[in-house]
Amino acid sequence: MGARRTRRTRPLAGEPDNGVSRHQELELAVHQAVASVDDPEYPGVSIVDLGLLEAIEIDESGAVAIGLVPTFSGCPALAVIAADVSQAVDAVEGVRTTSVTWLTSPAWTVERISHDARQQLASEFTVAVEIGRRAPSCPRCGAPTVEQSLFGPSRCRSVHRCSSCHETVEVMRS
Amino acid sequence: MSDLSPAAREVILAFADDEHLMGQQHTEWIGVAPFLEEDLAFASIGQDELGHAALLFEVLVGGDDAAIDAIAFFRDADEWRSCALVECTLEDWGDTLVRHWLYDSAEELRWQLFAGSSVQALADIAVRAESEERFHRRHGDALLDALLTVDDAAGRLQTALGRLLPMALAMFDGAAGEADAVSEGVISGPFASCADAWKQRVDDRFGAQDWASIDADPSAGRTTRHADFAPMLDRIREVLDLDRSAVW
Repeated sequence: MGARRTRRTRPLAGEPDNGVSRHQELELAVHQAVASVDDPEYPGVSIVDLGLLEAIEIDESGAVAIGLVPTFSGCPALAVIAADVSQAVDAVEGVRTTSVTWLTSPAWTVERISHDARQQLASEFTVAVEIGRRAPSCPRCGAPTVEQSLFGPSRCRSVHRCSSCHETVEVMRS
Repeated sequence: MSDLSPAAREVILAFADDEHLMGQQHTEWIGVAPFLEEDLAFASIGQDELGHAALLFEVLVGGDDAAIDAIAFFRDADEWRSCALVECTLEDWGDTLVRHWLYDSAEELRWQLFAGSSVQALADIAVRAESEERFHRRHGDALLDALLTVDDAAGRLQTALGRLLPMALAMFDGAAGEADAVSEGVISGPFASCADAWKQRVDDRFGAQDWASIDADPSAGRTTRHADFAPMLDRIREVLDLDRSAVW
């Protein structure tokens, strides 16, 4: 079918720009468009950095298919995110049509969140990320946090409290 | 997906309807659950079940929102395949907590039946759903751990259990043509093949039950609707009945 598939969770900034084909240019532009979409709950944090982008396929006619993975299958933000991605990609020159699909596989995990996004979540939103079974550290003082409620303000977050400074910390988990 | 056999469609529909109504029931506790953490928990757990239902409906009718709404909300009562446990409206928090535990401990086992499905989409969804179910069971267990050691609460929960078990056993009522779906590999065994493992979980959680004396309620299966079904369907269709193309 001539479709190309990429799996990238990081921007392509470091790639050589000499001799890139029109197809690669378009692919880069589409990737940047997807990366320009923020999570509706975390303005300024890209959905690409949160690990939601799984695949970009572009055929020779300029039809773009974006594959995203949801944090949780019942996340109410999915429709908003898909519409934002569709709008951003549609605006890229050379794109004829855009389709956005929520994939059922692979499953999203917190390991897909980039290092930069973790720093940003911690410093701007007081949100920690739970990796493995270790108690997440408090974004304010670094001490271990203690779970207060398994379920928090959204499905992907629980509520913890810092054992030292008593800050309330939302924790993203998978 | 049009290449699904009628038997496969029945099995998927039965599970989808259970998930859909369980999710809707949970959402009715938002704002009136006894404390804030429960409000959040039931909102989240309900969201997961509705998400699972949407994915299962998508396997049946494809990803178009209007098609999913049509199958989720606009079938006649006799075309639903849900069991009475998820159709009945419970007004007591103890009953609700016990139902949540009974349903989720069975749901996890039922997803395992789909984990090796010959329908790849079902196998993928099962992996996701099973990992989400861990949170539901952890939530139910944590509350029951606390409440079953308090005399008054334990008494109420045990009474609720006695009331709900005959209806809960009807969760394992099979869909029409279930045996065909098993031989096609859509599901690895009938729903009833989970029943023994589930009963063991109930015994471990609430104390040994005299299962020989507890029969599944014959009116609580998948071919009849509970008296609470019709008013519930009206409630969950309220917005769509005003505007069929409404989105949020």
